Amino acid sequence: MSASVRFSPARIAVIAELTVLEAVRQRLFGALLVLAAGMIAGAQLLREFNFGSSELKFITDFGFGAVTLFGTILAVVTAAQLFFAEIENRTALTLLAKPVFRAEFVLGKFAGVAVVLALFVVVTTGALVTVLWMREGALMEVAPEAFERGRLVHYGSVVAFGALQWLKFAAIAALTLVVASFANTNLYSVVISFLIVLICHLQYLAQESWQKLGSGLARGAALLLASVFPNFQMFSVGDRIAAGQPIDPAVLGGSAAYGGLYLAVFLALAIHLFRRREI
Amino acid sequence: MSPATDAAVAVDGLTKDYLLSVRGLRVRAVDGLSLVVQPGQVFGLLGPNGSGKSTTIKVVLGLAEPTLGSTSIFGVSSREARSRVDVGYLPENPNFHRFLSGRELVTFYARVCGVDRARLRDRVDEVIEWVGLKDAASRRLSTYSKGMLQRIGLAQAVVHDPRLLILDEPTAGVDPVGSAEIGELILRLKAQGKTIVLSSHLLAQVEGLCDRIAILNRGRLVLEGGVDELVTEKGRDALIVEGLDPSLAGDLRAWLIARGADLVAVEKPRTTLDRIFRDHVAPSVAPSAGDKEAR
Repeated sequence: MSASVRFSPARIAVIAELTVLEAVRQRLFGALLVLAAGMIAGAQLLREFNFGSSELKFITDFGFGAVTLFGTILAVVTAAQLFFAEIENRTALTLLAKPVFRAEFVLGKFAGVAVVLALFVVVTTGALVTVLWMREGALMEVAPEAFERGRLVHYGSVVAFGALQWLKFAAIAALTLVVASFANTNLYSVVISFLIVLICHLQYLAQESWQKLGSGLARGAALLLASVFPNFQMFSVGDRIAAGQPIDPAVLGGSAAYGGLYLAVFLALAIHLFRRREI
Repeated sequence: MSPATDAAVAVDGLTKDYLLSVRGLRVRAVDGLSLVVQPGQVFGLLGPNGSGKSTTIKVVLGLAEPTLGSTSIFGVSSREARSRVDVGYLPENPNFHRFLSGRELVTFYARVCGVDRARLRDRVDEVIEWVGLKDAASRRLSTYSKGMLQRIGLAQAVVHDPRLLILDEPTAGVDPVGSAEIGELILRLKAQGKTIVLSSHLLAQVEGLCDRIAILNRGRLVLEGGVDELVTEKGRDALIVEGLDPSLAGDLRAWLIARGADLVAVEKPRTTLDRIFRDHVAPSVAPSAGDKEAR
């Protein structure tokens, strides 16, 4: 009789490692990384067009925008590509013919994508912190009266913003895996995932409006949207930080728990759907 | 224990339908198939395209669910991951992670299969040498030829030293030289006592490698038996004679008739185009030092 096979974090790590290697050797990851870091660094050059906002606020806003936009694109495209390519190229055939659980495959792919997203967030947030620190230092020399109480930027909050965005990107990647686990093409996975991400960003509208709507289809649809989809506005803490206010630890903790819960739900759903899939 | 529970592979009443449309239209890929592959056998799975060979293999490996019936490997249901512990699989037209080098690919699968970390590097080097890709081990798979991809595929299949190998069209699309090289590797695995399930269109190669074959057509088993038993013409013998004067053929025939036999034909023994091609293009794979270690 064959030896028993247990669920193995080591196998998940091996699959994750391969996923990271594939992402790093793909040009998309490097291109997005360079583009995002370049945009953050370039924010210094664009400060002439800040329409009256302070320079530091402009750089912070611009940096947060670059991290959020490119991170969202990276989360959807990388998750869909790295997962679906295994099915489309039939490399999953060889891998799943080994003593590998479907759950290990999904979790391994997710863990790999999560590491890639973490690399992205570390580099881009690091670039943003560096640019802000240097610019603030320069301004402190030019106009020291504005900095009598020390530096204005809450760097800890900027880093916390990065961490929270990573959690959001990870939830987006898990959501994309849900779609990819039953999709027939990579394009379908990417398009549907982006649409769902858009709905999640607008979910707060449904949450606010469903009670105001009369009975009927519109109210039902709004209630469904508000109940099923997560509210990605929970992760939108950038405005407060850009305005020079520190992030409230309670808000940070609440958003992290919210993101973690949806992440777990999406992963469980992706595993369930992928178990039923014929390779 | 019954023959089925002793079997390396047991397929019992397997039927597999694929849903073609949301209206419930289905196509039957495998229809009531039952097979038993005994340990140590080299079993050929033959049939035209669409006969259900690859589907049967997928169900056996747990990659697809049976509609009816069951399959098992060494007595363990294919539905359980542990059924695949002692199995190496080379899929049809293997498409590996092309961004990896040959060594990286084999190392990846060795780690997935739980090859001991202490001997991982040595084991990977052994099997790469065994398939004759030592010099190309550091090259990306995207630069490999079709035959090299099949050989590195064989390396990943044997890296954890499984008892059962399932090879789906291992020589598909490979030139005669590459095909013969892969054939020789399979013969070495056979000599090591591995159980091999081989799906192939190359009937001459199957005849030379397999102990037993099953022929499928439209998902059904149409013939099964030992290769020797199926291809040997019973009651007939062939003599290969050197230096016989053609005028003496008549005398020989008369001599045979007098003893109750008959000379049915006198013809020149023929070689094969495959052999001529290989002899003129490249020598076949030489036995390598890794042969013994790869066991």
